[in-house]
Amino acid sequence: MKQLITITVNADEYEVAVKPTTTLLDLLREELKLTGTKKGCELGDCGACTVILDGKAVNSCLVLAVEAAGKRVETIEGLAKGVELHPIQRAFVEKGAIQCGYCTPGMIMRTKSIFDKNPNPTKQEIQAELSGNLCRCTGYTKIIEAVETARDYLNGVKPPELEFMPQKSAIDLSVVGRRLPKIDAPDKATGRALYTDDISLPNMIYGKLLLSPVPHARIVSIDTSKAKAFPGVKVVLTGADVPDVRWGTSPPRYDETILAKDKVRFVGDVVAAVAAIDEETCYRALDLIQVEYEELPAVFDPMEAMKEGAPRLFDDKYEHNINTHVDHHFGDIEKGFAQADYIREQRFVGNRTYQNPMEPHCSIAEWDRHGRVTLYTSTQVVHYVHHQLSHILGLPLGGIRVIMTNCGGGFGAKAATNTIEVVSIFLSRIAGCPVKMRFSREEMYLFGRGRHKQYIDLKIGVKKDGTITAVKQKAVLEGGAYSSFGIVSTYYAGSMLTTLYKFPNYKYDGFRVNTNLPPCGAFRGHGCPHPRFAFESLLTMIADDIGMDSIDIRLKNAMTPEYHTCNDLEIHSCEFTACLEEVRKKSGWDEKKGKLPRGRGIGIGCGGFVSGAGYPIYRSKFPHSNATIKVMEDGTRAILFIGDADIGQGSDTVLSMAACEAMGISYDRISVVSADSDLTPIGFGAYSSRVTLMGGNACKMAGEEVKNQILLQAAGIMKVDAEKLEAKDNRVFVKEDPSTFIPWEEAGFAFFSRNGPLLGKGHYSPPEGLGGKYKGAAVGTSPAYSFSATVCEVEVDMETGKVKVLNFWDAHDCGTAVNPMLVEGQAEGAVLMGMSEVLFENEVFDTKGKMINPDLHNYLIATSADMPEIQSTIVESYEPHGPYGAKEVGEGATLPILGAIANAVADAIGTRVFELPITPQRVLEAIQKSNQC
Amino acid sequence: MVLPDFRFHQPATLQDALNLLGQHPDAAAMAGGTDLLVEMKKGLCRHHDIISLAKIPELKRITENTDNLFIGACSTHSEVMASRLVREHAPALVKATSKIGSEQIRNTGTIGGNICTAASCCDTAPILLAMNASVEIACDEKIRIVPLRDFFTFNKKTILEKRDLVTRIIVPKPVSGTGACYEKFGLREAGSISVVSVAASIRIQDAVITDALIVIGAVAPTPKISGQAIEILKGRNVREFMEGSPLLEEAGNGAVRDSIPIDDIRGGAQFRRDVLKVLTKRAIRSAIA
Repeated sequence: MKQLITITVNADEYEVAVKPTTTLLDLLREELKLTGTKKGCELGDCGACTVILDGKAVNSCLVLAVEAAGKRVETIEGLAKGVELHPIQRAFVEKGAIQCGYCTPGMIMRTKSIFDKNPNPTKQEIQAELSGNLCRCTGYTKIIEAVETARDYLNGVKPPELEFMPQKSAIDLSVVGRRLPKIDAPDKATGRALYTDDISLPNMIYGKLLLSPVPHARIVSIDTSKAKAFPGVKVVLTGADVPDVRWGTSPPRYDETILAKDKVRFVGDVVAAVAAIDEETCYRALDLIQVEYEELPAVFDPMEAMKEGAPRLFDDKYEHNINTHVDHHFGDIEKGFAQADYIREQRFVGNRTYQNPMEPHCSIAEWDRHGRVTLYTSTQVVHYVHHQLSHILGLPLGGIRVIMTNCGGGFGAKAATNTIEVVSIFLSRIAGCPVKMRFSREEMYLFGRGRHKQYIDLKIGVKKDGTITAVKQKAVLEGGAYSSFGIVSTYYAGSMLTTLYKFPNYKYDGFRVNTNLPPCGAFRGHGCPHPRFAFESLLTMIADDIGMDSIDIRLKNAMTPEYHTCNDLEIHSCEFTACLEEVRKKSGWDEKKGKLPRGRGIGIGCGGFVSGAGYPIYRSKFPHSNATIKVMEDGTRAILFIGDADIGQGSDTVLSMAACEAMGISYDRISVVSADSDLTPIGFGAYSSRVTLMGGNACKMAGEEVKNQILLQAAGIMKVDAEKLEAKDNRVFVKEDPSTFIPWEEAGFAFFSRNGPLLGKGHYSPPEGLGGKYKGAAVGTSPAYSFSATVCEVEVDMETGKVKVLNFWDAHDCGTAVNPMLVEGQAEGAVLMGMSEVLFENEVFDTKGKMINPDLHNYLIATSADMPEIQSTIVESYEPHGPYGAKEVGEGATLPILGAIANAVADAIGTRVFELPITPQRVLEAIQKSNQC
Repeated sequence: MVLPDFRFHQPATLQDALNLLGQHPDAAAMAGGTDLLVEMKKGLCRHHDIISLAKIPELKRITENTDNLFIGACSTHSEVMASRLVREHAPALVKATSKIGSEQIRNTGTIGGNICTAASCCDTAPILLAMNASVEIACDEKIRIVPLRDFFTFNKKTILEKRDLVTRIIVPKPVSGTGACYEKFGLREAGSISVVSVAASIRIQDAVITDALIVIGAVAPTPKISGQAIEILKGRNVREFMEGSPLLEEAGNGAVRDSIPIDDIRGGAQFRRDVLKVLTKRAIRSAIA
């Protein structure tokens, strides 16, 4: 029964009736519509829902609303005074502490509670105090910096100023190359930014999924009659009620059904769906659905799954459960190994990890009365969702509108269409009203699409001087039940080994194997981090064996510009050597390597990635990124319409900056509309680290089209030839005499008055014919490649095996950094995420295929207390294919981390751990084993 | 994720709470709710009645007499840490409490809840056991005091009967010459469950160990007093427990012999034994320092 309570939220007193089961979080979000407070895990582990209750920070998901009666709650909405941001919010905006923004309100409220208790916390205290607020984007570095800055603001102290020198390639630019706050940061700092779950439409109902409790079974029968009869239930769907289409991510491997047709293939496979007036009713109805399963033998280990007679997941395809097989041979490895003076081979094993964006997936579907459906969703790629829905629904793109709201992080977890995007549409069509569906944290893990666990056998041959003569890699990827991105992951695992070091002879055998576990997909660095971990580890082992310095062996083989790799990838700009030299110098490598006491170690790792995939996931002739710009009628502002998605990485900001630079206007004169299929032209979205280069080029082109029209218009006003004019910093001026100018907006105003709308459009497609002619040659192609190197220093407790990462010194060749502050944010985030994966993360299943740790309590990710010191450097570089010389950093920055930590730990303990994660137990066992030898 | 339906009671007095417990045999008493609500959300337990203890002032008081501290069972971890009395007489309890969860959890979760959840890995029980704490239990009209060492029966099981309510934790003030400490091994720096923990309380008089309690956590179904480690310590001169000394090793081995660890996702049994030995030695060294 509901109970009437009085509660003060910020300055306002509310009288509201609540159920005993309503949490304070749900009261705030659902009843009071204060959606600034976020729902991240619902179990008190992530801190996204932090509010201040009677002066103390609490997780509002673990407080009953009835227990908050009579108390005072402070939420993010109460912090700013009108338009004036609170100093904490201002510092978060200025310092780049906000990426996806989903942890931000909780983080800011927690920060306020720290200051309420202690106005002058030290950096170490801040790191410890913030450890209950998880962030997956920033690596905490900029958050801690922002909290320190806010502390100084509040204490009337001037925070230290940052010395900043633009890169050489950006010296003559006005907007690109500058450290500018993200365009969306103020909205995220105030809780104003809308994520999908913050939206509630009139007459909206909720949907939930029934998931399989068994790993492999034939569905004998499903009885939904009781569920359908339950009060409040609007729709119940099973596989029999939805079209019999196969869908997925990569067209050759469409193997998923909307709802299970006759079989379930893992614990978590989707069996049925319910829509009802609220989630509570959905759950009750789900309990009433009776499913009879005929259990089948299941297989969880890829090696077992490949064996003759192993249970098959699909009867009609994937023989021996081998979902994808790659057999690549470039050059002649026999000849290559014959030329080698030293050869070493080693088995490495990766881990099954999950992206864990802080925002759970959520979508809302609504059909209008003209047969057209609108989907609001938290996605990385509006177009792939759009395209996939078109395939599933049998509707043209024009029959569907997909709107991406703010997205609370993705890292690959939201790179393809998901179940609730599809199912909410079917539920909504039948219910005749909007349907919202959201994943719980557990459902996120079970939907899966995290990193494949790889078993890698790697063999490298070198000459006496360290020159690599041949490389042989076999990788077995544990794929889970369905394909998802897996075919691409399998190719990437092989193709990207060739971009860092030059070697002419290379053989790669890749196998992706289906198992009765949640499907694996694309996770930051897509397929490459485990092979890169193996390669960087083995290269250091070989250097040690032949008495060569680990950085020297890398310099010896380092990639150089304009190189054609053995697997037909075209490298253009490349400052890998500069990266290596930079980290050698910054880390004090030569003074430390081999000279640190036992228990302390230093290691190097390197990486790099594509700046956007050369080909899309399905065959399409569309340009990969497209932009339009509309200049306001009075010329005072430009609106950029871009299909690519800002998932927190900052693409709205970076793309705006490229457009501003091209038009000649300042950053405060642009607004962005992104990722709405009705309003924005197609973009292939945020995956494969593609947006800066591809979206940037499209925006630059659109901006230049605007500028050309502005110059022509100004020429008429100024009576000067357009060729003699230039636009920059909101002025149109004579190149040879910049003091002769008119305001940019004057030209814009005149243009509209005479010609109507001032529009620009731009598009980008990668160069034609990228890559070789062999099967799978497309994967790994890109217009440009990034390079990075990192040195890591660790301390290991030799008695317990616990690793403490102390420092990272990393250097990145990302071409021109469009916004260096955002580049650092990507690099720092990659360090923490990579470190977290190496040291803590692993999905664990019981013997029946049920995940044991599908939460943030048992699946640990790094907190601010684990944060090492990170010093990132951006080296001088210019990529001719990139906008203003820019290329990627987001995914590439993850790749060096794994090997660097592994090498540092090996240096510290004198032996090596070959399997991820490098847990204290594995470290201790390695130490014990080496002591016995 | 939703909470299953329940009736909510919020008594204002202890007597009302006890009466409600008597009336609703299926009821759960809720202190901070940081464990209970999680378990209910996950569907691991279900109660038709929840009796909140949040509005009962006497359960939140922290008081003392000459020999003891009395910590109200519903004192939050933060309140325990901030208490002048606890800081003065039981600094090791403050340190152990600081290792629990996050500030948000410590602001909500309570010491009584931590004890009653009775997880073998819980952070307050080992140090409380090492300090010879007792629990005050109310039932109907009666109050009884049970040594904490007799309180835990198995992982997540205690001697509490249906109508029992833990009202206070009684912590003897340490006698002079006593040093206590808590060592925890978790998989990350903060907010992680103990893989192994050790609490030690050691009394030294004229360089001789006259009394000692070593408690090991997360290596048996309950937090456990290690008789074998204690045996090695008692009556010895502290100088015999220098870093690397054979007796220190022996004490570590004693703790290991008393453990019955399991394999789980946080670590294997042998790893736990290895870490237990290290932590025991460190706890002893730190308690006698």
